[in-house]
Amino acid sequence: MNSVLAASSTDLELSLAQQLTVIALCALTAFISHMALAVFNDGVRPFMLDFIQGRSTRSATTAVSFGLSAGFIFGLGAPMALSTGVLNPWLVFLPTDILGILSPKKWIAPLLGGAWGAVVVFGLNGANSIAHDLPVDFLTALQQMSTPILFLFTLFPVLAITKQFGRLRGGIAAVVELALVVMTMKIWPDIFPGSIAMAVGVLTLIGFAVNKDLAQRKLDRAEAAKASAAGGPAPEVKNGAGDDAEDPMASLFSASALRLRRHLPLFMLLGAGVCVLAQSHVFGGGEATSFLIAKGDYAEAAQVDFYRAFGFVPLIATTALASGAYGIAGFTFVYPIGYLMPNPFVAAVVGAAVFALEVLALSAIGKILGKLPSVRDSSEHLRSAIGDALGLAILFGSLMAANVMGGGLGILIVGGLYLLNESMGRPVVRMAAAPAAVIVGGVLLNILYWLDLFTPIKG
Amino acid sequence: MTKILTGGVGKAEVTETVKKLGLDGIEITVSNDMDAAMKLRGGQADYFLGTCHTGAGASLGVLVGLLGKPACHTFGRSVPTEDEVNALLSEGKKVFGFAIDQIDVIAPLMARAIAARG
Repeated sequence: MNSVLAASSTDLELSLAQQLTVIALCALTAFISHMALAVFNDGVRPFMLDFIQGRSTRSATTAVSFGLSAGFIFGLGAPMALSTGVLNPWLVFLPTDILGILSPKKWIAPLLGGAWGAVVVFGLNGANSIAHDLPVDFLTALQQMSTPILFLFTLFPVLAITKQFGRLRGGIAAVVELALVVMTMKIWPDIFPGSIAMAVGVLTLIGFAVNKDLAQRKLDRAEAAKASAAGGPAPEVKNGAGDDAEDPMASLFSASALRLRRHLPLFMLLGAGVCVLAQSHVFGGGEATSFLIAKGDYAEAAQVDFYRAFGFVPLIATTALASGAYGIAGFTFVYPIGYLMPNPFVAAVVGAAVFALEVLALSAIGKILGKLPSVRDSSEHLRSAIGDALGLAILFGSLMAANVMGGGLGILIVGGLYLLNESMGRPVVRMAAAPAAVIVGGVLLNILYWLDLFTPIKG
Repeated sequence: MTKILTGGVGKAEVTETVKKLGLDGIEITVSNDMDAAMKLRGGQADYFLGTCHTGAGASLGVLVGLLGKPACHTFGRSVPTEDEVNALLSEGKKVFGFAIDQIDVIAPLMARAIAARG
C-alpha cells in the first residue's frame, strides 16, 4: 500500500483491512436482504410484507427495489463517494438490497454482495487517485462544500419547528440557535459552533411535540368522560373507530416484531458490521457526513448523524413493524456511535449491543409512537427540513467548488447543468444534481485544458 | 364529497397545492400514514397521497402493510400521464406515493383525476 500518498487528508485510499470490511459487510447485507430480514431503502421496506407472505414474487420485488434505488445509487451515492472519497450507504447498501432480493438461491446472495463490495472499493480507489492527478482537481475542490453544509445543517431544527409549530416559535428558535452559535464560538472555540444549537433545537422540537400530544390525549379523555357521563347516544366517534380498528395494526406489528426478534443473532452480527464500517472512517452515514469524515472531523460527523437519526426513527420503526423487515443500518444510531469508537473490536461489540436493543425495543417504540402523532409529524418535518437545508448548502457549496475549479467558467458550467436538470424535470435527484454537475464540470474543464482552451486557476 | 388524506415529507405542500386548485367535490386534509391507514380501512376517507424522497417509503409507510399492495401504487420518481392515473384509479388504487420534488406536477394531476370521478 502506498501509505505515503495516503497521508494527505483528502486522499482516502482504503487499506486492505478496510477493503475486506466493506466486502464482507456487503456479502452480509445482501444475505440479510435475500432473507427479507432487512433492506436499506425505506421505500422498499413496505413492499417486503407481500414478499415475505408469498403474495409477491422475487422478481417483482427486485423490480420494485431496483426502481426505487437506481436513481439514488447513480444520482446520490456514486457522485457523493467520488467527490469525498468516502463511502456512503446509498452506494454500499442500496445495491446489496437489490442483489440480495435478486438472488434465486441463498448462497448466491453473499457472493453477489461481496462482488459489489469489491467493485466499490477498487473502483473508488482507482477513480479517486486518477481524479487527484488531473490538472483540474475537482475532488479537492468539492471539499468547499463542507462549510455551507455544516453551518446550514445547524438550522434544520428551526425549519422543522417553524413548519410544525408556526412562525412565532420558529422565529424564537432561530434567535436562540443563532445566539448559541455565537456564544459557542466565543466560549468554546475548539468545538463545532453548531453542536449545542442543534442539540437544543432538536430537543425543543421533540419537547413541543410530546407536549402537544399529551395535552391532546388529556383533552380526548376528558371529552370521552363527559360524553359517557352525559349518556349521549354516540359515545365518541374517534374512540370507537380507534378501538376496533386498532386490532389489525397491533396484530400486524406484533407478528413483525416477533419475526425480527427470532433472528436476533443475525441482526447483532449486522449491527457489529455496520458499526465497524463506521469506525473505519471510510464511510459516512448521512448526506452531510461524508464531507466531514473526509476532513477527519469525526466528532462533528457523529453529532450531525445523531441528530439526523431523530428524523428517521419513527419512519424506520413503523415501516419495520408494518413489513417485518428491518433497516440495514437500524435506526442509524450505529453510525455516530461507530465514528467515535476507539477501535474495530469495541465497535463490533457495541454495534451488536445497539442492534440487539433496537430490535428488542421495536415493539415498545411502535406502541409509544402510535400514541404520539405529533412526534411522528415532527420526524417528517425534520426530514423535510434536512432536505431544505442541505439542498441550499449543497447547491451553494457546489458553486463554490466550481469557482475554485474554474472561476466564472466553472460557475457557468456547474450552475448551468443544475438549471438544465431542473428544466428537464429533474432526471437526477435534486439533492445530487449539483455535486454531479461539479464532477461533470471538472471532467469538462480537464478536457478544455487538454485542448489548450482553459488554464487551471491554481498553478 | 371525496375525502383525500395526505402524508409523508411533503404533506403540507400537497394539501396546499390541491386546495389552491379549488376543485369541487373533494376535501383534502393533512394526516399521517398510521391514521390514514385506519381511516381508509374504516371508510372515513377515500384516498391517500404520500410523498417522500424516493416516492415510496415514507409516503406509503404502513399503508401497504395494512391495506395490501393491490390498493397501493407508487410512481417512484416518474411522472405519470393523465391516462395512467385514470387507469390506476379504475383499477381501484387508493393509496399513491410520489417524490417530494414532483409535487407541483403530480398532486394537481391526481386531484383533478379524483375530482373528475366524482
